[in-house]
Amino acid sequence: MKELMTHHISQQFNTELEDLRQHFLTMGGVVEKQVSDAIEALLNSNSELAEDVREQDATVNKLDELIDEECTRILAKRQPAASDLRMILSISKAVSELERMGDEAKKIAKFTLSLIEEGESPRGYVEINRIGTMVSRMIHDALDATARLDIDMAIKVAKQDRVVDMEYKTALRSLATYMMEDPRSITRILNVIWVLRSLERIGDYARHVCQHLIYMVKGVDVRHVPAQEIQQEIE
Amino acid sequence: MSEMKAHSIDISAMQRSQQTLRIENETPCLTVNNLELFYGDKQALNGIDMIIPEKKVTAFIGPSGCGKSTLLRCFNRMNDLVDTCRITGEINLHDTNIYAKGTEVAELRRRVGMVFQKPNPFPKSIYENVAYGLRIQGINKKRILDETVEWALRSAALWDEVKDRLHESALGMSGGQQQRLVIARTVAVKPEVLLLDEPASALDPISTLKIEELIHELKEEFTIAIVTHNMQQAARVSDYTAFMYMGDLIEFGDTNTLFTNPSKQQTEDYITGRYG
Repeated sequence: MKELMTHHISQQFNTELEDLRQHFLTMGGVVEKQVSDAIEALLNSNSELAEDVREQDATVNKLDELIDEECTRILAKRQPAASDLRMILSISKAVSELERMGDEAKKIAKFTLSLIEEGESPRGYVEINRIGTMVSRMIHDALDATARLDIDMAIKVAKQDRVVDMEYKTALRSLATYMMEDPRSITRILNVIWVLRSLERIGDYARHVCQHLIYMVKGVDVRHVPAQEIQQEIE
Repeated sequence: MSEMKAHSIDISAMQRSQQTLRIENETPCLTVNNLELFYGDKQALNGIDMIIPEKKVTAFIGPSGCGKSTLLRCFNRMNDLVDTCRITGEINLHDTNIYAKGTEVAELRRRVGMVFQKPNPFPKSIYENVAYGLRIQGINKKRILDETVEWALRSAALWDEVKDRLHESALGMSGGQQQRLVIARTVAVKPEVLLLDEPASALDPISTLKIEELIHELKEEFTIAIVTHNMQQAARVSDYTAFMYMGDLIEFGDTNTLFTNPSKQQTEDYITGRYG
């Protein structure tokens, strides 16, 4: 598959596909940074960084549009088939997933600013720290897998998403208990829960990126296949 | 699965239209068994095994010289006309081997009609072009001829364009019309199989689309095998696609699968333009 990225008779087509992949990875890099910045801003109560994350969103949206347009153009002009077609379709979809990750990062930044305004009380940050680290890792691995067309890693990321989901549920339970014990904290804790919710969503999007990658490389649609059955489905 | 409902929308119809065709569910019209063909010492087809399914469109793709036209011409024994050509193996049209001794080749070619790249109408009127095949079968009754000519011209999506000038020369028609006329002439003798060898490669894009649309309509009644250099055309018109390379049948399967997720690397390379 890797050497398939090149070796077209049409050198121009090669360049277009290679550019498309590069642009996708560039956008991935921007989103990865945006998410980790959002988490850092929250954990360190850094409102400047949070503002920065919100502003980044415009860039991500622009990239989303540009890359999607690129896909449309290649489809119209080249009538790609087989792995080329699958690559363009999956990048077009994966770009939307990245864009949604960006939106969630922006939301995290927004809640961070409210949390900072309300003053110190790091209750709930342990969970954010743990899930945030996991999710950042997932984005990183999803992009890495895309860059290297690494299916094993893609499956690993998809499986990791279930761990995140479980951590998220556990965190919700403990935060609910906390709110019951101290009703004055409800507003704050709700903001923390929204952040956790966004992180959990980002995990889902990272899994989707990996599912699109599996379609691109293997031609098997695993969007609605449970993570532990993906391997079997491919074979 | 067919009972699956989503928000009270019946999605089974959608699923049906997306369904992957399976060659094992088809009725074979032509069955090719271990077909080998030599031009002199040079082997042009290496042990081809496949079926051409009934009332479906089967496309043959592959680089020049891969044997796809040669194979197509085996289906109505056009290769008999080549002196140095030698064939082993068999091709069955339904249950009869067309290479068996005593096969009526003229009758075979009526049952398996062929259309070539360049439209080749006879220098006669439009009407007589279509009626020609019937006349050589000894059919001369005007009523039968009139009916069949109209039916054939309608089948070839040409009737409305020519009905007022049936007795004008066919040579005054455009290339696209001539090609449809040739198709009408071929279907007039009610063949079972239509072999199309690059039927649209000498035509402009609009005429090409008309031919493609026609192919889609004709498969209701005929089994169609088409050779084309235009891969997108194969993808558009066919139900099954066969990819050939250097006399071998590399991959043969449902067109949707072959163009989205081929199983052989060689097929992948060819359809994505990496061949070479």
